[in-house]
Amino acid sequence: MTPEQPPFPAREPVDFAIIGAGAAGGIFARELAAAGFDVVLFEQGPFRRASDFTHDEIAVMLNSELLGGGAAVHGQTFRDDPGKTAQVPAGGPPPAMYAQGVGGSTVHFSGNFWRFRESDFRERSLLGPIAGTNFADWPITYEELEPWYTKVEWEIGVSGAPGPSDPPRSKPYPLPPMPVKSAGVLLERAARKLGLTAQAAPLAILSQPYRGRAACVNCGWCLGFGCEVGAKSSTLAALIPDALATGRLEIRSECAVYRLETDAHGRVSDVLYYDAERREQGQKARAVVLCANGAETPRLLLASASGRFPDGLANSSGYVGRNLMWNCHGEARGVFEHPLNEHKGVQTTRIILDFYEADPARGFYGGGGLDARPFLSAGPIMHALLGMPPDLPRWGAEFKEWLAWSFTRQMMILASTTSLPLDRNNITLDPTHQDAWGRPAIRVTYRDHDDDLATARFLQEHAMALLDAAGAKRAWATPVAPQTIGAHLLGTCRMGDDPETSVTDRWHRSHDVPNLFVCDGSSFVTSGRGQPTETIMALAFRAADYIVRAARANEI
Amino acid sequence: MDGDGLTRRGFVQGSGAVAAAAFARLGAAGVLALGQAACRARDEGAAFTTLTAAEARELEAIAARILPATDTPGAREAGVAWFMDRALGSFMQSNLPFVRQGLRAFQEAIPATYPGARAFSDLDEADQDAWLAPHEGQPFFELVRLLTVAGFLGMTSYGGNRDHVGWTLLGIDPAAHTHTHPFGWYDARAARGEPDDA
Repeated sequence: MTPEQPPFPAREPVDFAIIGAGAAGGIFARELAAAGFDVVLFEQGPFRRASDFTHDEIAVMLNSELLGGGAAVHGQTFRDDPGKTAQVPAGGPPPAMYAQGVGGSTVHFSGNFWRFRESDFRERSLLGPIAGTNFADWPITYEELEPWYTKVEWEIGVSGAPGPSDPPRSKPYPLPPMPVKSAGVLLERAARKLGLTAQAAPLAILSQPYRGRAACVNCGWCLGFGCEVGAKSSTLAALIPDALATGRLEIRSECAVYRLETDAHGRVSDVLYYDAERREQGQKARAVVLCANGAETPRLLLASASGRFPDGLANSSGYVGRNLMWNCHGEARGVFEHPLNEHKGVQTTRIILDFYEADPARGFYGGGGLDARPFLSAGPIMHALLGMPPDLPRWGAEFKEWLAWSFTRQMMILASTTSLPLDRNNITLDPTHQDAWGRPAIRVTYRDHDDDLATARFLQEHAMALLDAAGAKRAWATPVAPQTIGAHLLGTCRMGDDPETSVTDRWHRSHDVPNLFVCDGSSFVTSGRGQPTETIMALAFRAADYIVRAARANEI
Repeated sequence: MDGDGLTRRGFVQGSGAVAAAAFARLGAAGVLALGQAACRARDEGAAFTTLTAAEARELEAIAARILPATDTPGAREAGVAWFMDRALGSFMQSNLPFVRQGLRAFQEAIPATYPGARAFSDLDEADQDAWLAPHEGQPFFELVRLLTVAGFLGMTSYGGNRDHVGWTLLGIDPAAHTHTHPFGWYDARAARGEPDDA
C-alpha cells in the first residue's frame, strides 16, 4: 500500500521543493523527508508502479512511452553548429533523451553502475590543459565522494565484485555479481587471448533479494524498459517507498515546472508549474533542490530570467547550459556458432577497463570501457531494425533467414568513452519552438570533439579485435560518427570553487542564489567513462547530507 | 513517425546507448486501447476498420515479400495486415494519408508495365520483387517495412505475430516471461566447468 501523501498547501512555504524525481531527486526526497522536513517533489512524468511496466517493444521503443512521447511533446531541436538554425529532428528520440516519470532514467537504464576513479576528478592536473576546452578538475576528490558511493550501493542494492584496477572502496558490494552470460564468457575468452582483463560488471540490479525487494528474474528487458519486479535499483523501486513512508513527502507527478520566481532578496520563493490538467499553479518553498537532469535543469534556470537575473537564474557565470557532455560511443557486433541467447538476463555481465585511463601516447585525450551485451538486439523488433549487418539484404528470404538465425547468436561490444567540455556544446532555449506545455523547447547544440571521436574509434578497433579473438563467425562495426542524440546529460551546471567558471559551489549551492541547490548530471565537471548514474547518486547523497545540516543550522 | 525518419541512416546514426529508439516518433497515446481492439479483431476474416480491403490486400502483399513464407510462416501468416490496420487507425494514424498516397503512387504504373495486372498483388512473386526493389530506401517502402517488422514481432495483442509465429521463428519462447541461468551454449559450458577450448 502506498501511504497517503500529505497535501501541502501551495500558499504556505514548504521546507523543500525538489524538481525532478530521477536519480538525484529520489534521493533528496528520501533524505530530506526522513530528516523531518516537509517536501514536495515535482515530476513532469507519471508516477508508475512496477506493475505498470511491460515487455511491449511497440509501446516502449516505438512509441517512446517512457520518454514522454514523441517530438510533439518534447519539441526539442538540434543543431551541430551554433551558426545553424536548430531543427526538430525528423525521426528518433529527442536529442536530449531521458525517461519521464517518478524514478527518472533510473527506471529505464541498464543498471551499469561504475564508480568514477581518483583520476576522473583531477585529470586537468594530471594531464594539463587542453586548448579550446573547459577541461578542469572537480572541486572534490574521489576520497571525499567514496563514502557516498558506498552509501548508494548499500541503500539501493548493487551487485558486483571488485576488479583489479578499481578505485579503493570502504565496503564490499552488498550483493554478488549476476551470473555470467554467454557474451561475458566470450569476452573473458577474448580478453585472455589479448592480454586484457574482463571483470564482473557492477549493476544496480539485484542478484539476490535485498531489503524486501525481489531478485532479478532474468526477463531480459532492462535496456529502455522499466522493471516489473522492482529488481532494478531505480529510485522508484529502492527509495521512493521509504520516502513516502515518512509521511512528509508529497509527489506531484505530471506537474511540469516552468519557472522559478525569486523574492526581493534574490532568493527562490515560488515554483511555478503546470499541473496534470495543464493549469498554472504555484508552490511556495523555503528552498529549492533542482535535479531535473542536464537538459531540463539548465532550461528551467534559463527560462527563469528576471530583471535581477537577466541571463537566467544562477547564471552570473554564463555557465548554465554550457559544457554539455554525452559520452562518446563506439560499437561492434558479432555472431557466433552456438546460441548465446543474449535476450535473456541483464544487459551486461563482463566489462574491460584496461583502456579507462587517458594516455598521452595515443595522441588524443580520452579513455573508456568496453562491455559485452545484446544492446537493442535484446528485443526482436529492434534487432530486426537495427541489429543487421550492413550488407545484408533488408527484405526477402535472406533477410528473414538471417534475422531468425542471428537473434540468439549475436552480441555487441560497446565502448563507452569520454567527452570534453566545450562552449559550443550546450543547452539553450529555442527561440521559436515550444514543448507540449508551452515552455521554450530545449535546444541542443552538439558536436563531439575530435578527441572524443578518436577515442571511440580507438576502442571500437579493440572491440573488433575482441570479437575476432572470441571466435565470431562474422563481425562488423558501425563507423563512429558525431552523435545527434545523447542519453547522458552532463556538465551543464558544473560545480566548482570559482563563481566565475561554475554554477554551484562544491556543496551544490548556487553561487548566486543561496537557497537554490542544483545536483544532477549537470553538476559534472568531466564526463567519466560513460556510466554516470552512480556518481549522480553519490553526489546527491553527499549534497543531501550537507543540506540537512545547513537547514538545521538555519544556514539556508 | 514521419516517413523520412525511417531511413536506414536515421536508424543507425545514433550510435551507442542513444540509438535506443532511433525511430521512435510514432506518437504516443492509445496504445492500450489499440491492443484491446486488436485482440478482438484477431480472428482471421475480421473486418478491417481503417484500411479498405484492397489497401490491406496490397500492403499485405508487400509485407509478404519483405518477410516471405519459406519453410516457416511469413508476414502474411502472422496477420501483419491486421496489425497495420490497427496501427494506422490509432498510434500511427497521422501516417495514414501518407500510406494511402504512397500506395497509390507505388502501384500507379503497374497496369502499363504488366498488361492484365491492376495491382501489386496481381503480379507473381518474381515480378513483385522486381517491382519492389527500386523502392527500397524510399519513405513509403521504409514505413511498410517498419510496419511489417513491428507486426511480425510485436506483442500479439496488437493483432500481428499471430500464434507467436514471429517470436517462435527467432527462438523466443512466448510462454517464458522469466528465464533461468545458464541462458546459452557458452555460459552453460562455463557453468559446467568445461574448459574453454576455443
